[in-house]
Amino acid sequence: MIIRLLSAALAAGFLAAVVVTGLELTLTSPLIAAAERYETQETHQADRGLPIVLAHAGHDHAAPDAAPEWQPGEGLPRMAFTALATLVGAVGYALLLGAVMLACGREPTPQRALAFAVAGFASVALAPGLGLPPELPGSEAAPLAARQAWWVMTVASTGMGLYLIAIRRSLIAILGGLVLIVAPHVTGAPLPPEGESALPAALAAQFAARSLAIGFVFWALIGLGFGWAWQVFGRKPAQGTADV
Amino acid sequence: MTTSTLAPVAAGTRASERTLAVALAAFLGLGLLFMAGFSPAIALHNAAHDFRHTQNFPCH
Repeated sequence: MIIRLLSAALAAGFLAAVVVTGLELTLTSPLIAAAERYETQETHQADRGLPIVLAHAGHDHAAPDAAPEWQPGEGLPRMAFTALATLVGAVGYALLLGAVMLACGREPTPQRALAFAVAGFASVALAPGLGLPPELPGSEAAPLAARQAWWVMTVASTGMGLYLIAIRRSLIAILGGLVLIVAPHVTGAPLPPEGESALPAALAAQFAARSLAIGFVFWALIGLGFGWAWQVFGRKPAQGTADV
Repeated sequence: MTTSTLAPVAAGTRASERTLAVALAAFLGLGLLFMAGFSPAIALHNAAHDFRHTQNFPCH
C-alpha cells in the first residue's frame, strides 16, 4: 500500500504540475514580472533614505551592501525553477490528499478523490485567500511570520471543519465544523500596514482571480489524477494477491 | 459522498500498514510543501518564488 500511495501521488503530482506550470507561466508569471517593476522602483526610492535589506532579496537588486543571494536567472532558468517548485508542491499536496483519504478509510476513485481535492482547494486556497488574498510582489502586507501563522491555522481549522461536516456528520460535529471554519475569519487575518502601494489595483485584482482559478485547476487535477493512478497502480499486483 | 470504505481490515498487519502509509505520506507531503511553500532559506524562496505567489503562500 505504501508503494501504491507514493506512486499514485507522484503520478498525480506530475500530471497536475505539467498543466499548472503551463498556466502559471502564461497567466501569472507575466503579472508577477510586471509587479516586480513597481517593486524595484520602490526599493530604489527607499534605498536613498534607509539601508533597508528586504528579506525578499530576489528583487532587491538595488541594495548595495547586501550579499548577493542566489536566485535563478531571468527567462528559462526562472521558468524551470517555477516548474520544479510546482512539481514539488503538487506531489506534496497529492501525498497529503492520499494520506487524508486513507486515514478517513475512503478507497480513492477519481470521483471521490476529486471531492476530497475540492475540499483541499477550499482549505488551502479559498479560506486563507479570504483573509490574505493572493498578492503580488510589492503589495503592502503584514509581517511574514504573522501571515504564515494565520495561514497555517486557517488551513488546519478549515480542513478539520470540513472533515467534521462531510465525514462525521453528527449535529454536534457539523456545528463544531462550522465554528472551526468561521473562527479564523472572526479572529481576522494580520492586516497590512497603512500606506499606498504603487501597484495598480487592476493588476492585483487580476492576479488574485487568476491565482484562485489556477489553484482550483491544480487541486482538481491532483484529485482526478490521484484517483485514477490509485486504481491503475492497484490493478497489476491485484492479479495474484489481494491488494489494499 | 457515498460511504464506501476500504476493504475490511482483516488482519492487524493490514491496519498497521495503512497507518504506516498514512504517516509516511503525511510526513513526506508536509516536508515537500514546507520546502516549496514556507522554507525561509533565501535560495529556496527565490527558486519557488513565482509558485509561492501563484498558490497564495504568504511570501516575503
